Amino acid sequence: MENMMQGVMEKVKTWARINSPWAIHYNSGSCNGCDIEILATLTPRYDVERFGIKLQGSPRHADVLICTGPVTLQSRDRLVRIYEQMPDPKFVVAVGSCGISGGVFQGCYNVVGDISEVIPVNVYIPGCPPRPEAIIHGVVELLKSLKP
Amino acid sequence: METEKALELAESLMKDFAISTRRPEENRVDFVIDRKNLKPAVDAILVDKRWGYLSAITALDNALWKVDETTKEKTIDPSGGSLELLYHFCQAAAVATLRVSIPYNDPKVDSICDLISSVSLYEREAAELYGIEFVGAPNTDKLLLPDNWPAGVYPMRKTFTSLEDSAKG
Amino acid sequence: MEPKTAPEKFIVPIGPQHPALKEPGHFEFTVEGEVVTNATARLGFVHRGMEKGAENRTWIQDLYLMERVCGICSHVHALAFALGVEKLAGVQAPPRAQAIRELVSELERIHSHLLWLGVAAHEGGFDTLFMFSWRDRETVMDLLETISGNRVNYSANVLGGVKIDINEKQADAIRKGMDFLEERTQHYLKVVTEDETFLGRTRNIGVMSFEQADFLGAIGPTGRASGVKRDVRIDSPYTAYNDFPVKLITHTHGDLEARFIVRIQELYESYRLVRELVDKMPAGELTVKVPRRIPEGEVISRVEAPRGELLYFLKSNGSDKPERVKVRTPSLCNWSSVLVTAVGHNLADMPMILAGIDPCFSCNDRIVTVNRKTDSTQMDWEDLRQYGIEYYK
Repeated sequence: MENMMQGVMEKVKTWARINSPWAIHYNSGSCNGCDIEILATLTPRYDVERFGIKLQGSPRHADVLICTGPVTLQSRDRLVRIYEQMPDPKFVVAVGSCGISGGVFQGCYNVVGDISEVIPVNVYIPGCPPRPEAIIHGVVELLKSLKP
Repeated sequence: METEKALELAESLMKDFAISTRRPEENRVDFVIDRKNLKPAVDAILVDKRWGYLSAITALDNALWKVDETTKEKTIDPSGGSLELLYHFCQAAAVATLRVSIPYNDPKVDSICDLISSVSLYEREAAELYGIEFVGAPNTDKLLLPDNWPAGVYPMRKTFTSLEDSAKG
Repeated sequence: MEPKTAPEKFIVPIGPQHPALKEPGHFEFTVEGEVVTNATARLGFVHRGMEKGAENRTWIQDLYLMERVCGICSHVHALAFALGVEKLAGVQAPPRAQAIRELVSELERIHSHLLWLGVAAHEGGFDTLFMFSWRDRETVMDLLETISGNRVNYSANVLGGVKIDINEKQADAIRKGMDFLEERTQHYLKVVTEDETFLGRTRNIGVMSFEQADFLGAIGPTGRASGVKRDVRIDSPYTAYNDFPVKLITHTHGDLEARFIVRIQELYESYRLVRELVDKMPAGELTVKVPRRIPEGEVISRVEAPRGELLYFLKSNGSDKPERVKVRTPSLCNWSSVLVTAVGHNLADMPMILAGIDPCFSCNDRIVTVNRKTDSTQMDWEDLRQYGIEYYK
């Protein structure tokens, strides 16, 4: 566990030097479990900001959209709008099982489910919710995939 | 106030309105009342006597099901059944519920927002999910369903299975 | 009231743009000058259709579904559901299971209150307090993970009891955790009651009188901060609250400061209760058998979530799937009462007032509409939050 964490942190430091992505977070109807864990990555124990990953409020300055939830019908349009407001190149990270298949809400009348049915997704991070380390790992995997 | 005493007090407050009274659990009493008596009953129990607080409004679709003799398939018999609204009042451990039956062909009941202003959100929820009209409600905007939800489609009714099925008619 | 068509109105498109904010929601405030004259809410961004979904799933599947109504208070949702089903089935979970359920409930309350403390502090611009409280909150997250395997959605409940047990090593870790948190909480209480800037945003702000709170049905810490003596753990004890009772915490002022104080004092009560449960945990079985088909009937299950009374209405038609699962979350109750009392307060106080009732975002939206009679300012949540911070500088 220790070594795995160190391994992840080493990778993150490498990426921060190469790329310092600005991220925006959007909740498309999640129970909040994933959002709380995303928020936890900002707090001292995980402190993701020291690696240059900055969570900020405007889509127009974002490189990465971190999206949670199973996309409720009401949130769908807003999700599309946020994605469209982001400048290229842009990437989407779907956090949580809901964004993969709808999670436990699959089939419920007000959800779409898979986020990629609404906007393209680059990385899925499974879990209900995924732990902060897994979220950081997922973002790192994304950055790794961008390496020329 | 002790639970049993609280329940007895509720029974005495509702004696002019209750068509029937039942004790479904040891801390609960249910009163079936006619919908035209809803406001006076709420007035009597809450506004006048402060018996507890309105904790929730449950809406039910008591659809009538019929089972096919041969296929054993269950379908809804539209000739029967009704909607029902349950107004739950809580006084410590005691729960008193006013039950109001609402017919499908005239799904209306008086809004009680002028008695308790905080009830608006509960009424809006029941209105859009079950298709009940709360007459006199100050705000009838959608609360939970998306703006583009088709009119006349009430997802919590037993007849609703999915948006796709509803679109097919 | 005609929210959508009045000429002075404008809808502010707000999304949960801020990292500290969770769910999208929609509040509409009508403002004259600085003062709010009307407030309403339009939710729906998190509406998933769970009550309908619950009718199409078995009782067992629904346990896992209801856990995810809210990620912050997932245990109490599953608990209310399980207790209801057990009542319908005519069974009672064994004493050890009930004690463990209570233990997890209190641990959840601790994590929830600390989470809220951080978020509410952030709303007022006190980001250091946010960072500190969330760092300390990790202590409880670790404990929950140690005993259940997950930090969130711990799934301790099964129909008929619990599926986790507490051993001596875990008990020790829990005791140490409570000691640490108790000391840290003293610091928070000090800040909340003595820091001048903090008090400027909370003392005498957002006052809900006892009368209003009592009549409108304000519950949980919001109601108790106004002196309303409502706590389901005391009024209608469930799980092991008869053997391990909790003390009622109320305040009289009904302002934001009172809401902070009540929650912090509840933290102390929870620490005490957790220690007691761990020291005196009854021995015995963890589950009792529950049939697959639940007998016909209707049942009302009420528990005290961190935010207040959570009510479940369950109706069974005798099959393995529920006829009706109705969930009334505490936040819906508190929204209602707060929207009524927001009137007359300053717009700048809205972020703190809304945060002060600890809205469970899984039930609400965060879109704020500000309707001014004179101009057409658009404000998003972040703007409104900054507005509040600037106003009080």
